Amino acid sequence: MDDPQQDLTACEREPIHIPGAIQPHGALAALHPDGLTLVAASANLPAFIGGQTVLGQRPDGVLGEVLGQIEAWHGSDQPFLRVIARDGRHVLTARRSDGLVVVEVEEARAETDSAFAIFAQLNNFVQEIAGQRTMQDALEACARVVRALSGFDRVLVYRFDADWNGRVMAESGNERLPSYLDLRFPAADIPAQARRLYAESRLRVIPDADYRPVPIEPSLNPLTDQPLDLSFAQLRSVSPVHLEYMRNMGTRASMSVSIMVNGALWGLVSCHSAEATHLSPMLRDACDFVVQSLAMRIGAQERAEDAAARERLSVLGTRLLAAMTGASDWVAGIMSDPDALLEQVGATGAAMIAEDRLEVAGDVPDKAAIRAIIAWLETRGVTEVYATDRLPHELPQLDGISRNASGLLVLRISDVASNWLLWFRPEVVETVTWAGNPHKMVREEGRIHPRHSFEAWREQVRGHAIAWSDAERAAAQSLRTAIVGVVLRRAEELAQLSRELQRSNKELEAFSYSVSHDLRAPFRHIVGFAQLLRERESGLESKSQHYLQMISDSALAAGRLVDDLLNFSQLGRASLSKSAVDMNKLVDEVLRSIALSIEGRAIEWRISRLPPTFGDATLIRQVWFNLIDNAVKYTRPCEKAVIVIDGQEDDGVTRYRVQDNGVGFDMTYAAKLFGVFQRLQRAEDFEGTGIGLALVRRILDRHNGSIAAEGEVGKGASFTFALPLPEKKGRALV
Amino acid sequence: MSELRPILLVEDSPRDLELTLTALEKCQLANEIVVARDGAEAIDYLFREGLHRERPAGDPAVVLLDLKLPKVDGLEVLERVKKDQERKHIPIVMLTSSREEQDLVRSYELGVNAFVVKPVEFSEFFKAIKDLGVFWGILNEPPPGYRRNGRS
Repeated sequence: MDDPQQDLTACEREPIHIPGAIQPHGALAALHPDGLTLVAASANLPAFIGGQTVLGQRPDGVLGEVLGQIEAWHGSDQPFLRVIARDGRHVLTARRSDGLVVVEVEEARAETDSAFAIFAQLNNFVQEIAGQRTMQDALEACARVVRALSGFDRVLVYRFDADWNGRVMAESGNERLPSYLDLRFPAADIPAQARRLYAESRLRVIPDADYRPVPIEPSLNPLTDQPLDLSFAQLRSVSPVHLEYMRNMGTRASMSVSIMVNGALWGLVSCHSAEATHLSPMLRDACDFVVQSLAMRIGAQERAEDAAARERLSVLGTRLLAAMTGASDWVAGIMSDPDALLEQVGATGAAMIAEDRLEVAGDVPDKAAIRAIIAWLETRGVTEVYATDRLPHELPQLDGISRNASGLLVLRISDVASNWLLWFRPEVVETVTWAGNPHKMVREEGRIHPRHSFEAWREQVRGHAIAWSDAERAAAQSLRTAIVGVVLRRAEELAQLSRELQRSNKELEAFSYSVSHDLRAPFRHIVGFAQLLRERESGLESKSQHYLQMISDSALAAGRLVDDLLNFSQLGRASLSKSAVDMNKLVDEVLRSIALSIEGRAIEWRISRLPPTFGDATLIRQVWFNLIDNAVKYTRPCEKAVIVIDGQEDDGVTRYRVQDNGVGFDMTYAAKLFGVFQRLQRAEDFEGTGIGLALVRRILDRHNGSIAAEGEVGKGASFTFALPLPEKKGRALV
Repeated sequence: MSELRPILLVEDSPRDLELTLTALEKCQLANEIVVARDGAEAIDYLFREGLHRERPAGDPAVVLLDLKLPKVDGLEVLERVKKDQERKHIPIVMLTSSREEQDLVRSYELGVNAFVVKPVEFSEFFKAIKDLGVFWGILNEPPPGYRRNGRS
């Protein structure tokens, strides 16, 4: 794309503040601060002051008459001095520049300078803009009053956008010059150093573009050996490029006054006439006064609007903060009030990215596009806040985002984690009417000229959104602070909870440790002494023998119960050592280990080939052991027991089943099967501690697996457990 | 019988002591059984200090050491012996009520020679004590220069 600014760098480099010449409607004298002797002068000075100008001597004429006043002013801290010469026909303005006193002399124009008339107009204007309801009314009033005061053919009020393109907001004219209302002027029309000058010196005037510059002699300031700095001089000769621009616009006279709002160049009041137009310094001051009154009105209005916006945003921020702190999870909290989230910055869509979560509200691009935007932000190294009103231009490689994401405002919540809050604004297709094609530059003989054509040129602006205001950015920033606060507090609460859990875990460990030592010993003692007693009293009658046996059996059972409980509690803490597990091998081992206990039983085993799984082999062997041992136990009453073992892999999950035709269970109590100490059979019918299935479920929980049971009284039971394979690890199984 | 060194049994529970002594008696070992009722007494015996200052020199064939002991616990006794240059060769068998992982790990770090969990079933307990007595009291050959009874 052609960038017109590239082509105008020649213009940007022109040192317009040191032209070495002035315009001929006045004269200039540079005086040495000590003694006010003449250091440099414009060639027309003698004619203007009606006296001698000898370098190194104090000037005479109308200038010589006011040297006393200049001397007094120079000792003060006033920025400039304006005096009317004794003859009443000359106005002198003194300023300090480059260590010199620079005096400009102009003719007063008595016929227009009725102080009373000027004051009345100013008074009217100030009252008028104070009463205007809208900014637009105030701009139009300003254009009208400046034209009335100055007598220019056309007065434009011109506002800069963020890129320094100008737009004509208000106009007042007598139709001698074409209307420029609503036209835009590219930033290149007023190069950067000219804008700097406009900010420093508020008013420029060119009474006649066809003037012959008057040179200043000597051309170098003897104090600095540099050309005299004329930044503040009203008479400063302007760039030839600018004069050509004026001629192209069909204007011979111009004046522009900077609209300075809060210290920044907001816009210009730009006046033109087809013919030469002379303005006295007093009238220029009056125009400047009008424009500065307007600037104050604009500043007040912007501050009021900004304050109102900030107030509204802070109410929304409070609502969002309440939603965040009220929810258990701040992301869910902030997304629970999408209206407040969007209104907070005036967006139409929002997306919240916290690690792998992506939640959206309103009108947003698709998730792949959002992820691509995040990736791009990561590479840009965005921290805290980032805003653009032309994302499709910043990120041209991503298609299809301009409709709802031309504007992007981003908060990076965490520097370490990938946590982002994104707001989107839709594309605003704007038809801009330029004063001539801004992209087309004219070249003649290698020199760049400003546009010759000011015919309106229409251009559609695509991929742009309404820019994010300062108040909206500030609201985003303060929301970020709030989120970070909430997240930090959450982290603190979690850390506190984790400390408490660690402590209670330690207490539990200490508890189970002492249980294992102290509870186990008495059972061992009972068994031991009962045995010793039996050996000693060989002649004990059978009833006593039986009682002794009961004592031993009970103590043994209690000892086993303690061992099982300890196993169960240790399972929660022991770390898993996972690897690929051959389930066929595990089942073989379990069958061999129970071979002795099933001697004499008629059991038909139907064992299919089992798919391998992934987990802690020792613990999974325990699962098989408990399930197979149960199947063997509960088929004891059957004449012919049938135990089926099979398995399959399905979508990254392995499932295994142990089915028997034993006593079964009532499905009503199915939920109780896997609880600790839950038994569905009477102890005298089937031995056991009631921990076996609880242990099985705990092992499977620790593998992110699951178990389910089906049964019918008298018909048998079927247990199915599932284990996820590694690539699906972490996924919940039902 | 200068070759047969005593067995040091460190046990605070009177019931466990009685059961263990009965078991040792039943296997008819000829070794003298020295009993210490807490960790401090065990250390006094092994280092010939305090009450045992006057005992004849010589190390036991094996120490059967309970974990939970008054005053100085089993792990501390184990550590003292295994860090002592002259006594680190004395075989020490942890004889304990439960198989706690942290105790196992710590004991082996400190250089225990064996770790035995007392079985609840008396016949199994009896067999374990007998095996230990026979193995460490009779079969096991100490390293050369091991301090015999009455000599050093």
